[in-house]
Amino acid sequence: MALSTGARSNGGSATVAQRLQKELMDIMTKPTPGVTAFPDDENMTSWTATIEGPDDTPYAKLTFKLSMEFASTYPYAAPTVLFKTPIYHPNVDFSGRICLDILKDKWSAIYNINAVLLSLQSLLGEPNNSSPLNGQAAELWDKDPAEFQRQVLARHKTPEELDAGGI
Amino acid sequence: MDHRSRVFASIFPVPSLSHTTPTPIATPTATPDLGYTAPGQSFGSPFNSNASGQQRAVRRNLAWSTATRFLSLPKQATGANASFDTLRPPMSAEIGEALHYLLVGEGKSEGKTEESLVDWYISEVRLHFANLVQPTLKELWKKEFELQHAWDALDETKRVLQQVQMLYLQPFNDHILPILYQDNSSSSTIRPRRPTLMVDAHGADDVSWGFRRDIHAIFAHCLPPQRFSKTLSYVLYDSGCKLFQIFVRHDGVQASVERENIRRRMTDLLQDLERVGLGGDNAQKAFAHAMDKLMDSYISSQYLRVDWFTKKSVVPHLRMWIKDAFCPFVELVMECLRCNPSDVQPTELQQWQEMALGRLGRERVDHLFFFVIHWDKSSGAILDIREYLKLAGAKQYLTSNFSQQISRRLLHPGTTTTYILNVYIFIIRAFHELEPKGVLLERVARPIRRYLKDREDTGRIIISSLLTDLDDENGSKFASGGELSYEIASEMAKPFANFSHDADEELNWGDMSWQPLPTDASPEYKKSKVEDVIWFLLTLWEREDFINELRNILGDHLLRCQDPEYQKEIRLLELIKVRLGDDKLQACEVMLRDVLDSKRINASIRASGAKLQTPDQTPLPQTPERVPRTPQLRRPTTSTPSLFPPSTPTSNPPDGPTLNAQILSSFFWPLLRDDQFLVPAQIQTLQKEYESRFERIKGMRKLRWMNALGDGTVTLEFDDRTEEFDKLTPWQVSVVYAFQPQPGEEQPGLIGRGKAKVVSTTRNVAQLEEMLQMDEQLVRQALAFWAGKSVLRETDQDTYEVIEKVSSSNADSDAAAAAQELAEVQAAAQAGAVRSQTDVLQEKKDVYMSFIFGMLTNQGNLPIPRILMMMRMMVQGGFPFGAEELKDLLKEMESEEKVVCLGGDLYGIRK
Repeated sequence: MALSTGARSNGGSATVAQRLQKELMDIMTKPTPGVTAFPDDENMTSWTATIEGPDDTPYAKLTFKLSMEFASTYPYAAPTVLFKTPIYHPNVDFSGRICLDILKDKWSAIYNINAVLLSLQSLLGEPNNSSPLNGQAAELWDKDPAEFQRQVLARHKTPEELDAGGI
Repeated sequence: MDHRSRVFASIFPVPSLSHTTPTPIATPTATPDLGYTAPGQSFGSPFNSNASGQQRAVRRNLAWSTATRFLSLPKQATGANASFDTLRPPMSAEIGEALHYLLVGEGKSEGKTEESLVDWYISEVRLHFANLVQPTLKELWKKEFELQHAWDALDETKRVLQQVQMLYLQPFNDHILPILYQDNSSSSTIRPRRPTLMVDAHGADDVSWGFRRDIHAIFAHCLPPQRFSKTLSYVLYDSGCKLFQIFVRHDGVQASVERENIRRRMTDLLQDLERVGLGGDNAQKAFAHAMDKLMDSYISSQYLRVDWFTKKSVVPHLRMWIKDAFCPFVELVMECLRCNPSDVQPTELQQWQEMALGRLGRERVDHLFFFVIHWDKSSGAILDIREYLKLAGAKQYLTSNFSQQISRRLLHPGTTTTYILNVYIFIIRAFHELEPKGVLLERVARPIRRYLKDREDTGRIIISSLLTDLDDENGSKFASGGELSYEIASEMAKPFANFSHDADEELNWGDMSWQPLPTDASPEYKKSKVEDVIWFLLTLWEREDFINELRNILGDHLLRCQDPEYQKEIRLLELIKVRLGDDKLQACEVMLRDVLDSKRINASIRASGAKLQTPDQTPLPQTPERVPRTPQLRRPTTSTPSLFPPSTPTSNPPDGPTLNAQILSSFFWPLLRDDQFLVPAQIQTLQKEYESRFERIKGMRKLRWMNALGDGTVTLEFDDRTEEFDKLTPWQVSVVYAFQPQPGEEQPGLIGRGKAKVVSTTRNVAQLEEMLQMDEQLVRQALAFWAGKSVLRETDQDTYEVIEKVSSSNADSDAAAAAQELAEVQAAAQAGAVRSQTDVLQEKKDVYMSFIFGMLTNQGNLPIPRILMMMRMMVQGGFPFGAEELKDLLKEMESEEKVVCLGGDLYGIRK
């Protein structure tokens, strides 16, 4: 029994890698503006993604880095996505965790990395204020856009600053 | 007198040291009590009293002067054979008594201070020699003499020395020795048991021997030792050469002297030299030198010639020579020189044989490269070296020396890869003969293999040579091209070796011929089936790389192959499977199966329809579109469109074109060239028809036509001639077909049909590009081709018309010749159905760039090696390029201001 499980999980991870490689190929051959992702190393299960803040939102011209982890059950389970760049957003807490339905219960195997990233990008412009992780942000979003903008800029760090801090 | 001054005096006569005065210089003053021996007192009695000392001195003086006067040597040079006795005062009783007294009587020297008569005589001899003989010899040896005169010089020296030796020895032997011997014998008879006297008995011999020794020392001293030994050495060498009939002289004069004479002359000389004391260590050393050189000369004159015809080793003969000719000669000389023992020991014989073998072997190894490239004919030499390898140190010598030869003569940019491959094969064969275990081969081949790996065309040459037919193309292809190796092809033609014992031989307990691995093998040494040349070639690369290369070349080859049975290809594949394992070669198998299946499919499709007819023309391979699993590629054959330029195109073509397709599974084939253009309408129709039938047979699988592949045959009918062309590329067919008048065009030709004046169809490049939707490059190439065949003529810039009537004008033929040349150059640049790496790089450049861009965006700044590694890992289908190509890509992206070099090989996104 143990043997067969082992074999299956091996086969499973191989398929995950294949699937991810194919997604990578798609992303690379048909890049979506403002969204990109790339694996961290050869085992393909952890990626780094980059999202540009959409224009006409408080996040315009800002770049956000995210980490994505894929379980061996991907694409039947959602990837774990975290903001690496500090972000001031109603649906993201201060450690970067995201509250987004398609990353939780609404996940489906038809989604892919590109879809997730696009959803996140649109989440930046259209936060779901009914279930905030950051209550203050949700409040400010509606009441005081200027202050919101200020908070966003204050919290944001460029990738270079992040790197410097990391070192 | 100390020894040094004596030696000095023997050479440089110093007056103050002169001993020729009859009175001894040394007077026994040191003895305190001088006494005389009373008459009747026994001589030399231990009881001799010192009281008689005084008397003895006087008497000794008297006797001394008598004896020395008698014994003194003539002061002038004597005639050649003068007998010395004639010059000497006659022997008298008085003299005899005096001698007796001085030698064995009371007058015998006592202590160190008194000089003995023998010593005096030696000094006398020395002086005489220095004054009279030495100058002559010095004269003789001072001047240079040529080698031919070496014999004479030695002879002369020998003669002079013999003569003076006789002169010196005669008085000694006649007058001194007998007295000493007499004394010996008498005393020994009287008191035989007295040990002291026994010493005395030998004394006489000792004195005699010492005297001779002294004379010989004098002789030896007067000759320049080096020159003498060189001369002697030369003489021995010379006689050896003559005896063994080595003709080292370059003037063509053959020594005609009989061997027997030489031998006698040499033995005489040696014996005489030995007699005058010149046969000692020096002579032996000289002899050793001579023999050393003799061995060299003999080997180089007799054995360096390789026996190209019988292909036998000369080593047995060499050993025989050492044993049966060299050794006897040595023994002869040693006997003359009275060496002890004069026999050659068996161990020495063996040593000499090895020495000779070593020399022969080194000579051979120095030319090993030459032998290797003439392998087979040179197997005699190789066998020699094989013997040589048994000696200690031989392998190291061979490895280092041969490696040098290889790097000097083979591994440089001036040699073609084909040549290197051929030589490598020769090396494999020759070294297999040399050392079947393959350790040496592994060592010497390592640099070659490394070098071959670096050459770009190695893989292509190997594989295409493997696919070449040995029989019919012998002469032309191999000689000229330089791209095909005859040797590889001939290896391929050899029957299959048996690889069944591939299993772990170390564990085969039943193997009675098992041997341990050679001790000098390197750690990665594997017992290889050395005889299998192809195995060596196939293992040059990593398996994967090789198989990729094989796939490309095989693909190209299959598409061109004319053999409907594909026997050679099947065999090659089998061969490679045996060597590399069949799991990796799946793609190749599929390719092969594709082409074989295509034949069957063609047949069945043709059977199902009337219009697709017989002639097996060329196929255009097609990649199937996206049939997910077994994608079927098919290749349509271009049919033979007949072309009647002025006449109506479609009207009754003789047979109608036919089409054969090759159906290829694109997934397994390498990337094929896929230029898009329109094929002639007739062909298109056929393609459609074929397609529909194929879909019917194959369950709705789609075909995608690859028009750029394949070939075609056309018949062109002109006003004045009909020509047939085959092996045309599809775009050439399309282009020439485009010169058919189009239905819409008002063709003057139509009207003028049958009349004298016919206007040819004219097209320009742009028109053709549009009509055929073809790349300009292909259009131009096809135009140049047809112009070269005198089918088209360029009437204006980029405008061509059909040559309906071949005129005799030179202009046409000149233009045709020029165009043909151009066409050939273009075709060469375009050859190959499989896309090259550069093409792939160009085509996929955008993907690669976006990969790099994505990588750098998300992962931050990265160094080139890291980028390269990620590319290889991440890009689907692999990234078959190296750091160089990657750098070029990055440079290009840098110039597009996408990335920026952050120093060194670190790159980042440009902000």
